[in-house]
Amino acid sequence: MDDKKNLQKNDEIRIIRSSTAFDCGGRCPLRFHVKEGKIVHIEGDDYENKDEQLRTCLRCRAYRQYIYHSKRLKYPLKRDGPKGSGKFKRISWEEALTEIAERLKEVKEKYGNSSIFLATGGAYQGALHDGMFAMMRLLTQFGGYSTHYGNVSSEGAVYATQTQYVSPFVGHSRKDLLNSKLIIMWGWDPARMISGTDTIFNLIKVKEKGIKIICIDPRYTDSAVVLADKWIPIIPGTDTAMMIAMAYVMITENLHDQNFLDKYTIGFDKFKNYVLGKEDGIPKTPQWAEKITSVPVEIIISLAREYANTKPAALMDCQGPARSAVGELYNRCAMTLTAMTGNVGKNGGSAAGGLMGIPYGHMFFASRIPPPYRNPVEVGLKSVRGSLDLQLRFQARCHTNKIFDAILKGKDGGYPFDVKFAWFVNNNFLNQLGNTNKSAEALKKLNYMVVSDLWLTPTARYADIILPVTSAAERNDLLRPWPSGPYFTYMNQAIEPIGECKSDLRIAEELADKLGLEAFEKYPDEPDALKFLIKLREDTRKNIRNINKFREEGIHRLELVEPYVAFKEQIEDIENKPFNTPSGKIEIFSQRIADLNDPENPPIPKYMERWEGRFDALSKKYPLQLLSPHPKSRVHSEMYLVEWLKEIDPHVAWINPINAKPRKIKNGDEILVYNDRGKLTIKAWLTERIIPGVISIFEGAWYEPDENGIDKGGCVNVLTKDAYSPGGASALNSCLVEVRKFNGGM
Amino acid sequence: MQIGFYFDQTRCIGCSACVIACKDWHDIPAGPEKWIRILYNEKGKFPDVFVSYMINPCYHCINPVCMPVCPVGAITKRIEDGIVIVDSKKCLGNEECNSKCLKACPYNAPQFGSEKGAKMRKCNYCVDRHLKNQLPVCIESCRTRALDAGPLEELKKKYGHITKADNFVYSKTTKPAIVFKPKIK
Repeated sequence: MDDKKNLQKNDEIRIIRSSTAFDCGGRCPLRFHVKEGKIVHIEGDDYENKDEQLRTCLRCRAYRQYIYHSKRLKYPLKRDGPKGSGKFKRISWEEALTEIAERLKEVKEKYGNSSIFLATGGAYQGALHDGMFAMMRLLTQFGGYSTHYGNVSSEGAVYATQTQYVSPFVGHSRKDLLNSKLIIMWGWDPARMISGTDTIFNLIKVKEKGIKIICIDPRYTDSAVVLADKWIPIIPGTDTAMMIAMAYVMITENLHDQNFLDKYTIGFDKFKNYVLGKEDGIPKTPQWAEKITSVPVEIIISLAREYANTKPAALMDCQGPARSAVGELYNRCAMTLTAMTGNVGKNGGSAAGGLMGIPYGHMFFASRIPPPYRNPVEVGLKSVRGSLDLQLRFQARCHTNKIFDAILKGKDGGYPFDVKFAWFVNNNFLNQLGNTNKSAEALKKLNYMVVSDLWLTPTARYADIILPVTSAAERNDLLRPWPSGPYFTYMNQAIEPIGECKSDLRIAEELADKLGLEAFEKYPDEPDALKFLIKLREDTRKNIRNINKFREEGIHRLELVEPYVAFKEQIEDIENKPFNTPSGKIEIFSQRIADLNDPENPPIPKYMERWEGRFDALSKKYPLQLLSPHPKSRVHSEMYLVEWLKEIDPHVAWINPINAKPRKIKNGDEILVYNDRGKLTIKAWLTERIIPGVISIFEGAWYEPDENGIDKGGCVNVLTKDAYSPGGASALNSCLVEVRKFNGGM
Repeated sequence: MQIGFYFDQTRCIGCSACVIACKDWHDIPAGPEKWIRILYNEKGKFPDVFVSYMINPCYHCINPVCMPVCPVGAITKRIEDGIVIVDSKKCLGNEECNSKCLKACPYNAPQFGSEKGAKMRKCNYCVDRHLKNQLPVCIESCRTRALDAGPLEELKKKYGHITKADNFVYSKTTKPAIVFKPKIK
């Protein structure tokens, strides 16, 4: 019916209901207006209840410019100049795939399968065409491959939740926020980073209902602008100190829920001893924390009292603060506070843990066409199941933030492989992992490299062969939302592929022929393949009874009888439904971590000052802390070239006038931001919205080094470190820099 | 009848989805021509900061001062709904007349592309959608539902009569057709 209404705009316009598959934190219904085979407009969700519409953000509003951008890759390319020069010549698919197949066979024969490296990212998250799944299936059947471990965004939170709950589903459905009496948003900016399509709107409803919201963040974020009753600025990397001082106030004033702790947790006494100073002689008082965090004593005390006395209250700790040197301890500490206040498993409460996901329609349950057997390179390794020992993860892999170090150093550097062939699919890792300049050097030395992408990204510039892939509008697929949901979306192909672009699945299928992999199963009929994938997983199989209707409407919404609350089952019946942990309880103390005997990875959550924090000796040379939060006008580095988006949010560095003035930096000045790893230029934006001592540059701008090695593109990762925490967090927010006015030259 | 806008300034996160939805619907390239803009205001000193966002389309004024200054009568106000529209074909272009409409408008609503002698274009309340009983695309694109539109009298009944907002001066001469829930420091 709605389609008919829209058709009136122009009789020739067809409405295709679809969605996109970015790594964005949302999953939004889209209506592509297609005329003569071309998308001419894009509208969002038209669900009859406007309050429940899943409204897309500015990024997919600009999706048309992304699809039809003049710089999109349309043909396979072969390098025609030095690596990194960006010089390529057009070749045919036949030529490209033949060459790749020959190189794969050659490397396999000469060096073995472990020398074939697959680097996978999250830029396309559909069930059928996801290049990660397609390439894993292909390379497994080719005899195996090496790869990496650790999610760039959320690994600190993953490790923390695996430690204390052994479950990634620590969230509540978003409507449960309305049952809260107090919400503490810690390092969480859903206005920009989305965190579920309807999250920001639900938070606005929370605010308008009169529920108090407190935002703790080094920046006064756009979320804080509309939501915060109070903004508490904090020094990056010190969140844990503030939380521990809050615990001190609760313990010394007897505000904590001892009954809850006795019944549902283990190890609180050890944590309490640490907090009170019985372990190390340092009581973690608010005075102690003020010196570390810059948060005034009285604010720490009043927040601790308010959080402990307001029931229920939701402590929402996001993942950014955990992208730091010992990041997992921040999420672990937040979880400990939620247990101390008895807010776990309660409506309107929160179990914290950073991931905020619910087990309905979640992307973790995404269907995929599985490889027929295990990656042969990883057969026979010690099992990682249930272990918190990161070293087990690295028996055959490197950490994601060490991909380029591993390429550079190989086995001599202690890695389990020497890379001779690398395939980068669904990512722009040169740009998006730490220490970009060093990474570029690694890629110059890499023997052979294939990139499949829509764009000639900074990573792709180093490729030997680039394969152009289709956009979401050129594919049919099955999608799942990020943490909130719950719903499924059906991506209907709206247009024919641009140029000679192919989907990652088709590329794998065609390459399988070249490699002579006769058993490699193909899925030529997309609607049929999607039916198969819908039936593959229990939740889609049970809920989507009418696949045709799902396909036509592009979305299937799941109705929850009541809001989902993480661990409600356990809290209501711990005897019969224990937590997944070895003790069956929330493990504030983790024996599994204690057994690792790693001083950097304490069995109870602690505040530990580590490298490139505020008090690092390096801060004498580089006195400013650098943050690299999510941008609003791109999805990480995706959509970077889309002009409509670029003009919305010019690339600037946030700097407080207190730091700008002594450096004679005025608003709009070109500045040089630098440390030992790199230099970039960017315009300064003087704002009172950032805590002094900190500079913030949104991640994802494209690396563009000049002849002096200065990055003119403002890619923040030329400054960040290629390091990870003991729990595997990519520590990109632990970074010290200095800035000065840039007058050209060095 | 007079159409108008409602803007809940307390809800706006400045995301600019409305700006892009407008550019997409009206097929306007990146560049200076923006039929709706988001204005930014920051006041105070760290950590006591105040930030507001303000929408800036054409407010389809009750008394549009752009209209009489146009030397060729390219700007008209529709009697049936008060939408102020421009006939870009009639417009002489910004060089020929020195952008008289833009100079007259207190809200910078008249817009010009980057090309030489650009003809004036501006927000037309998505009149094509309006004629099909659809709301302007900016309204339907707002993630936080900070925007509404419709007959001004109905908006006033629903949302009140407030014509003040942060970073906005109500012109008693032109009488912009907008009411607010303002953000107040």
